[in-house]
Amino acid sequence: MPAIYRASFGFLRRHPWQLGLAILGICIGVAVMVAVDLANQSSRKAFLMSMDTLNGQATHQIVAGPGGVDETIYTTLRVEHGIRRIAPIVSGYAHAGEVALQLLGVDVFAEADFRQYTAPANFETDLAASPDTGPGQPEDMVRRFLTVNGSVLMSAATAAELALSPGDSFEILVNGKQRQAVLTGILRGNDGREVGGLVVTDIANAQYWLEMQGRLSRIDVRVAANDEQRLSEIRGSLPPGTELLSASGRTETTAEMSDAFMTNLTAMSFLALLVGIFLIYNSVAFAVLQRRELIGVLRALGVTRGQTFRIILSEAAVVGTLGAALGLLAGVWLGEKLLVLVARALSDHYFAVNVTDVAISSASVVKGFVAGLGATLVAATVPAIEASSFQPRLALTRSTLEQRAGRAVPRLGYSGIGLIFLSALMLALSGRSLVIGLIALFVLILGFAFCIPFIVRGISNALAPFAGRIGGTAGRLAIGGVGKTLSRTGIAIVALAIAVSATIGVSVMVGSFRASVSDWLGSTLQSDVYVGVPRGSLDPALIPDLTSLPGIAEYSTSRRAWLETDNGRTRILAIRMAPGSYAGTNIRDADPEHVWRQFNQDSAVLVSDSYAYRHETQAGEFVTLNTPQGRVELRVAAVYQSYDSNDGAIMMSRNTYNRYFDDSAIDSIGLYLNDGFDVDLVMNSLREVSEGRQSLIMNSNDNIRDISMAIFDRTFVITNVLYWLAVGVAIIGIFGAMLALQLERAREFGVLRALGMTPGQTGVLVSLQTAFIGFLAGLTAIPLGLVMAWVLVEVINRRAFGWQIDIAISAQPLLAAMALAIGAALLAGIYPSWHAGHARPALAMREE
Amino acid sequence: MTTTNKRAQVRIRDLSRSFWEGERQHDVLRNLSVEFAQGETVALRGRSGSGKSTLLNLISGIDVPDAGEVEVSGKSITGMSERERTLFRREHIGFVYQAFNLVSTLSVSDNIRLVLELNGIGREQADQRILKLLDAVGLRDRAESYPDILSGGEQQRVAIARALAHEPVLLLADEPTGNLDDRTAEGVLQLLDELVRQAGGTMIIATHSAGVAEYSDRVLELQNGALVS
Amino acid sequence: MLLLICACEADVADQPGTPDSRAGSSRLSELLRSDGAEAFPRVTDPREFRFPADHGPHDEYRNEWWYFTGNLDGEDGRRFGFELTIFRFLLAPEENRDTGSAWQSNQVYIGHFALTDVAQKQFHVVQRYSRGSAGLAGAESEPFRIWLDDWSISEDGAGPAGQPVWRLRANDTDIAVDLNFVAEKPVVLNGDNGLSQKSAEVGNASYYYSIPRLRTSGTVRVREEMHSVGGTTWLDREWGSSALARDQQGWDWFALQLSDGSDLMFYTLRGQDGSTHPNSSGTWIDAAGNAHHLTRKDVVVEVKDYWDSERGGRYPSAWEIRIPLKNVAISVVPVLEDQELITNVRYWEGAVDVSGDAAGQPIHGRGYVELTGYAN
Repeated sequence: MPAIYRASFGFLRRHPWQLGLAILGICIGVAVMVAVDLANQSSRKAFLMSMDTLNGQATHQIVAGPGGVDETIYTTLRVEHGIRRIAPIVSGYAHAGEVALQLLGVDVFAEADFRQYTAPANFETDLAASPDTGPGQPEDMVRRFLTVNGSVLMSAATAAELALSPGDSFEILVNGKQRQAVLTGILRGNDGREVGGLVVTDIANAQYWLEMQGRLSRIDVRVAANDEQRLSEIRGSLPPGTELLSASGRTETTAEMSDAFMTNLTAMSFLALLVGIFLIYNSVAFAVLQRRELIGVLRALGVTRGQTFRIILSEAAVVGTLGAALGLLAGVWLGEKLLVLVARALSDHYFAVNVTDVAISSASVVKGFVAGLGATLVAATVPAIEASSFQPRLALTRSTLEQRAGRAVPRLGYSGIGLIFLSALMLALSGRSLVIGLIALFVLILGFAFCIPFIVRGISNALAPFAGRIGGTAGRLAIGGVGKTLSRTGIAIVALAIAVSATIGVSVMVGSFRASVSDWLGSTLQSDVYVGVPRGSLDPALIPDLTSLPGIAEYSTSRRAWLETDNGRTRILAIRMAPGSYAGTNIRDADPEHVWRQFNQDSAVLVSDSYAYRHETQAGEFVTLNTPQGRVELRVAAVYQSYDSNDGAIMMSRNTYNRYFDDSAIDSIGLYLNDGFDVDLVMNSLREVSEGRQSLIMNSNDNIRDISMAIFDRTFVITNVLYWLAVGVAIIGIFGAMLALQLERAREFGVLRALGMTPGQTGVLVSLQTAFIGFLAGLTAIPLGLVMAWVLVEVINRRAFGWQIDIAISAQPLLAAMALAIGAALLAGIYPSWHAGHARPALAMREE
Repeated sequence: MTTTNKRAQVRIRDLSRSFWEGERQHDVLRNLSVEFAQGETVALRGRSGSGKSTLLNLISGIDVPDAGEVEVSGKSITGMSERERTLFRREHIGFVYQAFNLVSTLSVSDNIRLVLELNGIGREQADQRILKLLDAVGLRDRAESYPDILSGGEQQRVAIARALAHEPVLLLADEPTGNLDDRTAEGVLQLLDELVRQAGGTMIIATHSAGVAEYSDRVLELQNGALVS
Repeated sequence: MLLLICACEADVADQPGTPDSRAGSSRLSELLRSDGAEAFPRVTDPREFRFPADHGPHDEYRNEWWYFTGNLDGEDGRRFGFELTIFRFLLAPEENRDTGSAWQSNQVYIGHFALTDVAQKQFHVVQRYSRGSAGLAGAESEPFRIWLDDWSISEDGAGPAGQPVWRLRANDTDIAVDLNFVAEKPVVLNGDNGLSQKSAEVGNASYYYSIPRLRTSGTVRVREEMHSVGGTTWLDREWGSSALARDQQGWDWFALQLSDGSDLMFYTLRGQDGSTHPNSSGTWIDAAGNAHHLTRKDVVVEVKDYWDSERGGRYPSAWEIRIPLKNVAISVVPVLEDQELITNVRYWEGAVDVSGDAAGQPIHGRGYVELTGYAN
């Protein structure tokens, strides 16, 4: 390494703390970003892969509404139209003990063109000898698969999870009913891929278990690319309400449901990196400031400006590379932790994801590395330019620097205000774009950050006289010091303020959201007891027996079904309202009485907030649905409040539903009790009636609310983790800044010590200063945090999920944020203040 | 070390430089004209604030005058761009400072090497020259030491070695003995005398001490930004 | 004639026609042996055949087939041979499920469709599978209909003399046939009044009848080319629950239609050691449709040549057949050497030409030959 670089790097080597903190800052920023990216991508990939395996070679799927596909359509296609590359599928869900399973009913004879793993050729052949057929052979396997009552296949891993061996019988719960299953063979994925949590059974058995006789979940279709003729032939032979859709398109649509969720996580991960950028800026700027003499000497010796700039930047590059590389490693580690949270949130809200390992994609790694290194270089550019502007003079005095920084403060403030305006403009003009909304949020944060030094100087100048009166010389030194050392403390305050404001923004948003959901649950959950079946529907014969029990005054029924519409896959809610149910639906901006009349008498529907936002649908407009009766247009009577699904839903009366759809299933009923009847007693009699017929889930009103809130809180765990990581980065920033500041002022402290200040007093001085820094950060974070909360609620959440949330601000998150800011600063100041107190005066004065 | 083949003639015409202190203008140099002959050693004397350092900074191109011209070996420093000045300084001028200004993060030999590298001198040649220089200043055994463990006199001898490493045509010394006790100062001056003056190099020493005079060909007195005598 | 295939021991994953049929014929034939047959009804006594009822399925037996083989001439002079066989297999003797699903079934249907294009020296073969439920595959006697996907043989009106017309349709990417059949001879019961004993053990037998001559007309498609064709088709019908004994290797089956109006069916059962099994037998049908049972002693079959399959196995490929009783001596030669079917099992089934003497008069003829147990 040339001596000129060694001269400069030697400084970093002598200050390993600063070097280490800078690297750590980048490392955490990159790690968070990479981790979120990996967790997102891995869950998505796992979902797509499992869909890929389940869909196999299917290019298209024939689907129909809630009632499923009429099975005779399949026979007609095959026997009359001679279309062979199609396969019937009956699918659903099951439980074996506590293990949730996906149930796939297939016709093995149609599978060869689709799923290799279900083909008999792949059946495990080395089954233990069985008494009736001798050593297992593939033909026995097929024979048994087709003829043994309750025969199922599963992967070796799933069999191991359930502690089953081939030949074993076991209980399986499907649609709330206990069934006897026999494991007759082991599925082996043909390229080592295994679909976990999957049981495959014969289609006849699947129809029996799922009570779907006569109906198919879908028909898989395989058509050569661009064989439009075949596609239109198939389409032509389908009845109304049954559609031929692209398989990949369906999968993609399902996967896209989670896009907004993932985008928000990604944005959160950028926050940590943004805080990291400030930290880097801080570190590099310090390193430059502290070497002003060195740089002066180098310049006098003939080092050019360009060389100076390059030295500083290449230092940053080394730090950035190290930090980013470590960040990648940490990111993979963190990614595995986050994956659990992301997968759970996705499973709670969007689709089942069965994934435990992060799939490390080179794209994520490259992105993380480039972002980390890029952020470092960007952050280092400003100090590098500053370094190269040093005159080759021998001493730039501290005060000159502060003067310069002082002059920059208002300029920075003006550009900050400009950025805030820009952000407001972006928010106003970007329509419904989530990504631009998020960018605008970052511009807003940046703009605010630029204003912070100005605000801080004002506050500390205003407070300095009081500080002197209260805290004496130490107080004056501490607090006056902050304002006068903005070039060093300003950035640290900004970094902390941003991190803290993020916690305010997010916690106010989450708190408001939580309050809205809680209110909504309170009004929606009108029934006293809810009865349903885990992932299934109620036995129609059971319903009259349940609802006629003593104590039950009224009941409502509900059916949640999916329907392919022109707007993609849409949730349909078919409700039979009990008199008490109406109050449970909060209708927006319309006269409820009028709306309900239309709902009950004119086949009008309601759409949820999210649906209305997503599809830009308003009351008075029409939604078009594909039904077995053909396409029908239903009038939207009103928009209703719902936090049920961010994809939105269309609600219709059960009568309307029955009129258009060939589906009598009821998923759950809500029971209204007569006064004086005890919920627990009624639940007991419900249990008695259903005993042996169907295993039901029963929840009281309160239970449902608790469960819903638990899911809500679970969803935001990952958000909390991310903003605490950002706070962590900020604490590191403060720590580094305080350390550098004490280093910078070592001589001053040496003098103070020489003049008779005790180590304790020096420590107090430093602690006071850091506490004051924390206080300033907290104070400035509050307005920024509140604005952020507003943007998150009104812009980001709305654009991402279509939710309407009422902002609720309480003092608690603000006080918590202030405590956090001061606490973080004090925590960061512990070592520096100890250091300042214990510096030996003579050495301190001599150093540098 | 000889500089016989590389001597500079320095010509200064009507040089003025002032600084602002708040609202008040402070003239450091006023219409100063002076010439330094090739191979000449000149002592520049004056009290603190008399403009000595400013003059040296202007000669080396570290600072730019408000008016006037500086010419070194026939080349106008004042007409050059910032970059040209830096490169000219790097190649032709050596500096010795009162505060030594060694790079604390580099060893003694690396401090010298820095200058050689800047001038594009190859590693082997640089190694040889560093040894020779350290021999000349009597610090060969401290080659790998770091500046902060050297005494003041030793540090200044390293600084002299560094200043002469790239064989500059002109050596500027700003209070080279200002931080040293008398005996050590004497040694440093002797060293400069030996390595520059006796070898025929051009040297300008700014100082407020009288002792320098005996090593100089000429003594110039600077008072309030102008030459007296 | 019977062919050793059992339900879906086949490799469903394999595309039809792929050479690699992992389940080799020798192992598969294990399943049509008597093992496990006790649970199914056995063929032990002669029965009274009723038609058209017996053209339909006999679902309680383990296996059954409808075997159509025919020689066709195009109007353009192009010659074809075709085979369409629908096999039915019962996987388990008893149904122990009550799913209420239309898909529930223990029956499996397999179809083999082969076309010999003599002029192009090409042999096409396709195989299909289906469960025997949900309307996907099945067999019915009244009206007569056997089908698997869109392959079918079904009653399609009546001929000029009021006799029923059957229509056979089968297709795949490269080949298709659409043929009408009218019976020219009545049903012939093979063996002992339709009971065909295959090995010594009681019950190792099948019910077996043939319609030796179905006058055939219709179309054949080879890729994009359509040919109007006419010719004669042989129907073999057989059902039972077990056939071969352990020591039997396979058989050579001949179904020949001769120019003097007579027909010959004969099968030679081979032992594992290559010997001819005592249960080998056949039927001679004269021009009037009168059947005469032939035993092993009545017929001499001499192999005159062999053909080596590039997929392994050596098949006989020319025969000299003498029936001293009828004063018949004929030689039988395939129209194309390679008429080997690569399906779940590998066997040879192909169109043949016949020439020779009958009662001192030169005769010729055409027919189909099936050779099993040669591919290993």
